[in-house]
Formats: sequence, structure tokens, C-alpha cells
Amino acid sequence: MSGAVEEYDGTLDGETGEPDHGGTGGTGRSGGDGPGRTAGRIPRGFRVGRWEVTEPIADGGWGRVYEGRDTTADAPDAADAVDAPDTANNANAADNADTTDPAGAGEGTAEAGRRVALKFLPTSGLAPRQAERLAETARREIEFGSRAHHPRLMTLLDSVVLEDCDVPGLDGAVVLVMERAESSLQDLLDAADGSPLPEAERLLTEICEGLAHLHGLGWVHGDLKPANVLVMADGSVRLSDFGLTAELEGTRGTHGFIPPLGSPDYLPPERWRAPLDERGVQVRPTADVWALGVMIHQVFSGGASPFPGATFTARASAVQEYAEGRAPLRLDVVVPEFWRALAADCLLPAHTERAAHTAESLLDRVRTLQDAGSAARPRNRRRVVVLAATGTVLALLGAGGAWWQWAGPGASPGAAEIRLTVYNADDKCRARSDRHPMCSLGLAIKPTEPYVLDNVVQTRVWHGDVLTVECDLERGVPIADEAGARSSRWYRVRLPEAEKSAKTVRTTAWLPDVRTRSKPAVPACGG
Amino acid sequence: MSGILIHLPSAHRTEPATTRRLGPGETARFGRGTKAHPVELLLPDPAVSRLAGEILVAQDHWQLTNYSTTHSYLVENPEGAGEYLRVPPRRAGAPIPFEFARVVLPTRGSTVSFQVFAPDHVYLDADDFGGRGTRTLNAYSLDETATYFLVLVALCEPRLRDESAVSVPTTPQVVERISTHPALTRLTARAVNAHIDYLAEQKLRVRGPQDVGAAGSGARRTGKREAVVGVALRFGLVREEHLALLPSRTPGAPSPEPARPGGHR
Repeated sequence: MSGAVEEYDGTLDGETGEPDHGGTGGTGRSGGDGPGRTAGRIPRGFRVGRWEVTEPIADGGWGRVYEGRDTTADAPDAADAVDAPDTANNANAADNADTTDPAGAGEGTAEAGRRVALKFLPTSGLAPRQAERLAETARREIEFGSRAHHPRLMTLLDSVVLEDCDVPGLDGAVVLVMERAESSLQDLLDAADGSPLPEAERLLTEICEGLAHLHGLGWVHGDLKPANVLVMADGSVRLSDFGLTAELEGTRGTHGFIPPLGSPDYLPPERWRAPLDERGVQVRPTADVWALGVMIHQVFSGGASPFPGATFTARASAVQEYAEGRAPLRLDVVVPEFWRALAADCLLPAHTERAAHTAESLLDRVRTLQDAGSAARPRNRRRVVVLAATGTVLALLGAGGAWWQWAGPGASPGAAEIRLTVYNADDKCRARSDRHPMCSLGLAIKPTEPYVLDNVVQTRVWHGDVLTVECDLERGVPIADEAGARSSRWYRVRLPEAEKSAKTVRTTAWLPDVRTRSKPAVPACGG
Repeated sequence: MSGILIHLPSAHRTEPATTRRLGPGETARFGRGTKAHPVELLLPDPAVSRLAGEILVAQDHWQLTNYSTTHSYLVENPEGAGEYLRVPPRRAGAPIPFEFARVVLPTRGSTVSFQVFAPDHVYLDADDFGGRGTRTLNAYSLDETATYFLVLVALCEPRLRDESAVSVPTTPQVVERISTHPALTRLTARAVNAHIDYLAEQKLRVRGPQDVGAAGSGARRTGKREAVVGVALRFGLVREEHLALLPSRTPGAPSPEPARPGGHR
């Protein structure tokens, strides 16, 4: 988003230092009075456990963030804190504090004590159901914060429930105590004024590190965006705001559920039509990967979204047009080629396609680039860059309508991947995108044997899914579709996720020719 | 952003009405149509031009182009108090701000019309005090002045008042509850069911019992009704303060009985 766009879009975007729903640990900006607050101002010197409020940081719709300091830093043992502020000040909170954090070790001085951000989530004065919502935010933050410790994730130092306090409206409030950040990535983007951020590559690498760790633990962030990426005093990046963070569930840990909230500019296309039930909406790690793709573009373009439009509704509908194949992805040429290819992979339209690009694999690619850049500079670097560039050019050329055939630099950057799109002959099924079981299509284990129930893999596919196809078989068992089309050709396709059983690991299966309208030019399957 | 829905009434009583969904950026032309110039929305009335106009989905709303050189078209808001727009001849891309709209084309005698729904309209959260920032928004926002919202509040009322933890009113009970509202004196059971369907399918997109199996339509609607209420309450889309939108209960009237299982409508 450029400055002008922000202005126009004032209802929802704009001054962004302010954390949404009481969000981000502590950004550097001082927020004004929020209108219509239910809770009163929290006075300087107000005590929360062993923390003391010093000054307001920001005010969001959902809560307020204050700076606090550790009062135990004034105690006699404070002298020790000069050498090791982190460990000395956290003696009481050893359970919560990330004492192994190398980035935090240099922070804070004895004079300041340990500076923290105190996020107040007041619950009184709210209708019970709104209070429940805040309580859920707090619960998610605490649940995640108490389990995840990593130099790239904002550490939850403590959580306190206020009781019997004399500030009106604060009884029962939950206070989350977090490390104090200097600013957020959003602040940096606002200040960048349309030019690429200095150290863009390092910032993005560190975001990838945090995301890869978070996903590796089996969680989804759920609200990844620049306002929730905080920058510490030493310049290191921490992911923050875990109020929508969900643990993956399902038999294979593919998705979690979160309340139906999100930041419009960072929502993947499938979220706009995601069904809702009492658990919330499904969120997959690929949603964070999509948000990462948007952020990669923003970091190099000084905040501009990869999708055109002056308002978030315009950008969201541009996302839909792209996802439905009516508009190409047009990434700004100021984004370096390697990162443009990476962003394009993060922004693949279907979540099944994005699933191939995990945070881990993206981080590997970023590290490969950096290794190539630092170690064998002249040769390796060029090779990587050239491959990435090829992918991008193809993406841009093919974007006119056949974007799915793009052979991008995937897991195996050397081999061009050929893809096909699944087609369902039933027009009712083609019209819906909710992946209803009734509209799912099967894949065969052996194309030369009758296509019956025990010759079908577990994975189901739906109309519009894009699969990587390896080769084809001219004479398999003939299959006729619902409309009467008939073919004996089969394609060997890669499964989006390998199926593991006791004996075997299955990575491919067979799709009948009648289940696609793509005519992929692939070699005949040998053997 | 999921686009708009167009409901075209059938030309003959025997044919079902057709519904068409258009995604963002898609267009559909309407008119009498010819072999040489086919149209997506066929209006087989001799008084309608062969190519009468075009609909374009733009962002969360839609635009109407009037290809006629002589006739204005009216776009009415069926829920408004007589709100309408006049789209003059040759006007290109007039933005239509209504979530519900009826496009009326002049003909001799009766009029030709079709309906367009734009369920993507976004509303800010109630606890968003106009602050600025990259907001975390409720992706399922509702128009609290719309009839469908009143229907939803009526459905949620027993649970909000803690009259019963499980009961969800039946359609006749909803009609009875809100038809004393001055704007809704002519509300029919059919309309209430249509509003419930719209809420379940377009606004909240509930994933509920109606998705599994092909149960009878009555049972299906009960499941849908319960799923809509469950979701609306769970995520605070309907809250205690919304009860004030309902007309006051007639004194002495018995509170609605809980819905019996098995799908009464």
C-alpha cells in the first residue's frame, strides 16, 4: 500500500502502528486515546504482578498496550543484571521466559530494568459474548506462548489476571506480559514511503525462520501481517500476536480452526468462501504462506500489495479474479527475481498447490540463495538466480490464462513440472468450491486394473485442483465420465501429500484422462 | 469476495427460476438476445431490446450499463423504504449500492424484472470505533438493518434470553414474532425461509447438518436453522443488544414454544 492508497482507504487501512485487537506486543508508536473505551486509563505506576506500568504504547479496538518494567530490577540483585539482564530479571519467570534467546541477551539495561510490553485485555463492561471472544484471544495467546520458545517468536513472559483492582473496568482483565519491541514491520513499511526496505532480505529470512518453526511445531499463525511482525531493539524480527493461532488437528494435522476473523489484505482466496461452523473457519499453514507472499512483495515494494486496488475490497476482489484464473499475477518488477519467484509460489491460487511450498522449503530456498551468495559467489549464485528467473518469466508469459501450466522452480528446481487441472463432468460440482465429499473424485492405484473401491487411494481431488503430472499411459482401463466421454488414457500424478501406511509410502496415483480438460504434454510412463 | 447472485424469473410458470453467480470482474449481458448476439440473461419480452444492458461485478458491488437509447431502467431496493436508482439511457457502469436489488425494465403493460444480490458488502465490527490500522475484520459481516438480520435475531432470541439452551424458533414463530414490526407487516413464511437460506448459504456459509446426506427438506432446514443460530451466537454476530431491534412482545402473549425436532416450518 502506498501512502496515497492508505489515505483513500482510511476506513480500514491507514495508520498502522496501532495494533489490531490489542495486538502486537509493543510497537514503538504511542497511541492516542481510543474513543469509547470501557476501561479507564491505566495510571503510571499501576502494578501488574511484578510489573509496573510506565507509559502507554498503543490502543487497539480489543485492548491496550502499555510499556512496563520489571520492579524486581530495582532490588539489590539488580547489579547482576548489568552483565546478564535477561536471566537475572527472569529468575521468577523461568518457566515462561526464553532464557536461551540469544537475540534478547543484549537487550535492556540495568537502568531501564527489563522493559516489557503489557497487553491489557479488559473483559468487564463487555457483553458476555464479547468477553468470551477476548477470553478466547487471551487463551490462544497463552496456550501458544507457554509452549513455543524461539528467537523468532515473541516470548510471552507472564500472564496475569487482575482482581480487586481500583481502576474501573479492569477487574477480571487478562494482562499478557511480552518482550518490548521497538517497532513493527508495518511501521517500517509506512516510513519506507514506497522504496524497498533496507535489509529486506534479512527481515524476510527471519520471518521465514519464525514461520518454519511455528509450522514445525504444528501450529498456524492465522493472522500473519506486517503489523504482527515486530522488530526488536537489535533489529531482529519476532512474529507476534497469537490471538488467532491454532494448533493443527485432523487425522494428518492438516488444519486448525479459528474464529472467523482476519486481515483482508492477507487472507488467501479460499478464505473468502470458507464455510463456517461453531468451531470457526478452517485454517491451514498455506494461509500463512499466502500472507508471507504478500509480505515479500510489500517489503520490496515499500508496502504495496501485489494485488491492485485502492480499497481492501478492491484488492480482495482482485485476489478472487486471480484465483479464478481471470487475471494474471502481476508482481512488481522492483521485487528481485529470486524473491518474485518465491512470492509467486506463496501466492499460488489453490491451497493444494501452495501446500507444496511449506515454510520449511521456502526457508531452505532462501538459505540456499544466501549460501550461494556468500560462499561460491560467482558460479552458484548465478545458477540459482537464472533458474528462478526462468520460472518468473514463464509465470508472467503463461499468466494470460494458463497459469497452472507454469513449470515453476518447485522442490526440484532443475526439472520442469507439468501440471493439469482436475475437471468434474458434473456441472453442479463444478459450480461449487467447498470441496464437498459428494463432489470429490478418486485416483487409482493401478490404471490397468478395474477402477473399483480397493483400487483407489485415500486422497480425493476436486474440480479445479491442480496436480503435477509425471507421465501418461495410453492403454489403461477405459473410463467413461458422467457426460459419456470415454478414454483409456491415464495420467500419473503426484499426490499433494504422501500417503503413508504401515508398509508403503505412496507419492503418486493415477488420474483418468476424462477427469481433466488439460492436455498435458508428458512422456509415456515407462515400466 | 464471492461475487453476486442473479435470480432470473422463469418465462413460463412451469420452468424453474434460474440463478446465476458471477465472480468479481465477470460480466453478464441481458436482453431479448439473438442468434448473432446471444445474452447470458435472457428476458424474452418483445418490449425488451435485444441487448438491453450489462452487469459487471466490481469489488463488493456491481455496475449496471444501460444499452438502451430510449429507456431508463429502475433499480429498486426491495428492503428500502422506496429507495431506488434511475439508470438513464446509455449510462455506462452505474454503481449499484444495494445488497438486494430489483432491476426493472419498462415494457408495455407488465414490467420485466430480475433480482441481484450482492452478499459481499462489508460492515465494520461493532467494537471498531473507527480507529485506523490494518484491521482484523470479521469476515462474516451482516447488515444489522436488513430483514435477514431481524430474522436472525428472532431465531437467536430464545437462547439470548436464556429461555432455552437448545430451542430455535420455527418459521411460523419467527413470522409471528417479527410481523408486528412496522416495516414487516406483510412478511410471509416463504420470505422468512428465503432469508434463512440466504444467511446460511451466502452470508455465513455455515457448514452444518444440511451438508451431509440428502435428508428431507424440512429436517434439513431445521439443521440449517440451528447451525445459523449456533454460528451467530458463537462468534458474537448477534448479541444481547440486538434484541432491541425486535418489536416488543405483545403483553400477555406466551413466549414461543421450543421447536420440535423433525423440522416444522
